[in-house]
Amino acid sequence: MANGYHAKTLPKDLNAPAFVDVWRTRALTVGVVFLVIAIILGFLSGDAWNHFLRAWLHGYMMCFNFCFGAMVLLMVQYLSGGKWGLIIRRPLEAMTRTWPLVLLLFLPVGIFGASFGKLYIWAKYADWAKALKNGLITNEQAHAIHFKHGILNVTSFWVYSLLTFAILALYVTLLNKWSLKRDADPEPNVPYWRTKFENLSGFGTLLYAILLFGVAIYWVMSLDPTWYSTVYGFQFLVAEGYGVLALSILTLIGLSRAEPMKTMFRGTEQHDMGKLCFAFTMLNMYLAFASFLIIWSGNSPEEIPWYLDRIRGNWGVIATLDVIFHWLIPFTLLLSSGLKRIKKRLAVVCCIMIFARAWDLWWLIEPNFPDARRNLHFSVGMLEYATLPVALVAFWLAYFFTQLKQRPLIATNDPHLVELLEPEHAHA
Amino acid sequence: MPEREGTYGLLAEFDTPSQLVRAAENAYAAGYRRMDCYTPYPVEEAAEAIGFHKNEVSLVCLIGGMLGVTAMFSLETWISVWSYPLNIAGRPYFSWPAFVVPAYEWTILFAGLSAAFGMLALNGLPQVYHPLFNAPNFRNGATSDKFFLCVEANDPKFEPAETRSFLEGFAPVSVVEVEY
Repeated sequence: MANGYHAKTLPKDLNAPAFVDVWRTRALTVGVVFLVIAIILGFLSGDAWNHFLRAWLHGYMMCFNFCFGAMVLLMVQYLSGGKWGLIIRRPLEAMTRTWPLVLLLFLPVGIFGASFGKLYIWAKYADWAKALKNGLITNEQAHAIHFKHGILNVTSFWVYSLLTFAILALYVTLLNKWSLKRDADPEPNVPYWRTKFENLSGFGTLLYAILLFGVAIYWVMSLDPTWYSTVYGFQFLVAEGYGVLALSILTLIGLSRAEPMKTMFRGTEQHDMGKLCFAFTMLNMYLAFASFLIIWSGNSPEEIPWYLDRIRGNWGVIATLDVIFHWLIPFTLLLSSGLKRIKKRLAVVCCIMIFARAWDLWWLIEPNFPDARRNLHFSVGMLEYATLPVALVAFWLAYFFTQLKQRPLIATNDPHLVELLEPEHAHA
Repeated sequence: MPEREGTYGLLAEFDTPSQLVRAAENAYAAGYRRMDCYTPYPVEEAAEAIGFHKNEVSLVCLIGGMLGVTAMFSLETWISVWSYPLNIAGRPYFSWPAFVVPAYEWTILFAGLSAAFGMLALNGLPQVYHPLFNAPNFRNGATSDKFFLCVEANDPKFEPAETRSFLEGFAPVSVVEVEY
């Protein structure tokens, strides 16, 4: 702009402000306290650590959601462009670099859940004929375990999971490495880098969707081997976008108390991300309801029990609250365009969204198990869901904050950077 | 109604949105209220600068959406429960999951139409005559690359000579007097 009115200059220090260290300390404290409580509850519950392991799966899925949801959102913003993408690029990169911790969190799920068969009945009763004879599983379960043995066996589980981690780790490494190289290689080469990232991200997004569909089936859906839904993986993909957007906005709002985000995070981009949240809220509900409506209409005995397990025996209350937390509250609040521009209120909506994601996962995971199926009841073990996932996510956050400090918060070699410094009325 | 005559207002022309916003903010601070900005594309800050904080389109849209969802859901309930009850695979007559999709479609339809027509109505459209089109530079530039601020003559603070020199202080391309 020829006229310098309202124009801003790039802050000198682009590194994360010092209070990120305070965040990390707090996250670690919360993590340790909740982990200790969860372990005590594990001893008290007297169910051979079964609920502990279920809650671990829950917390692990939350961390996986944040880490690799960030990866796919990072790739999507390279493809879509836009100033909102530039402003969240570095926070998203920091989230993806937490993958070693996520892999570490997966190991108990794989070792105890699958190899020792504590979570997955297809692993526990791989010898389905014997289990059926002893009355440990139903006819339907036996049939499903037998029929799906080609996919649902411990070897395939490990091979697929580790292969997924290997491919995703490769992508995370490339995205992070090239991003630094790009910043060090200015002007004439900008189009070269843009094309390079687009090529990486285009195929990467597709590949990620395929890999995620698989792991969602292995890790969560196969807890009940009798049921299947073709939209299941897609629901997880959308839920990842939902959770990660909320977390990114919270991070930016938190960082915007100090430079450089104070200058760089404008109302326009905040509003844009609020709108994206709104879109994901709708898409999430659309998929969840579509899947329910189709199965309800079909009313087939192969499909409907999965929903009955999650509605009867007071689970209906949880399902209704899930709709309220997941859709009704964020939807009605995000309808307002004014709210999306107010940092404090948008932050509250984002917290509700992350909580709703955890609530939904609980509703997806717990009713798979015989003691909880169609029977919502209080047990000490149930409290694990309120403690262990908090601990795991807190540890993950601490690692994320460490990574956030590793790089400047703004990627500088991008044409959008100049636009972020322009007054907000300069562009349509 | 007698035909209106005389000056409609003073029209200042700017090359950039920044200049327009600066002039509009200053005019508002100087006490002018009856004025408007004209830009080739939406410039939110210009609207804010002249004290235009909130519009009612979102409210109209919300009311439209609520009407849509209520109308369709009631219609479906009435048909299925009272008017023509059908036993479909033993399901209850009031099968709300099946009602959701059409009710949702009507919400979107009503909300969309209310937003579009509400926006036109609140903008005072269709309007067959507007004095600003008497200014040739407005006709040529307002929809392509020029940014205009018009201080209207019915503003209590409006004085032809004083307002003109005030506007000229912001280095506009031109300031022209527009007749009714």
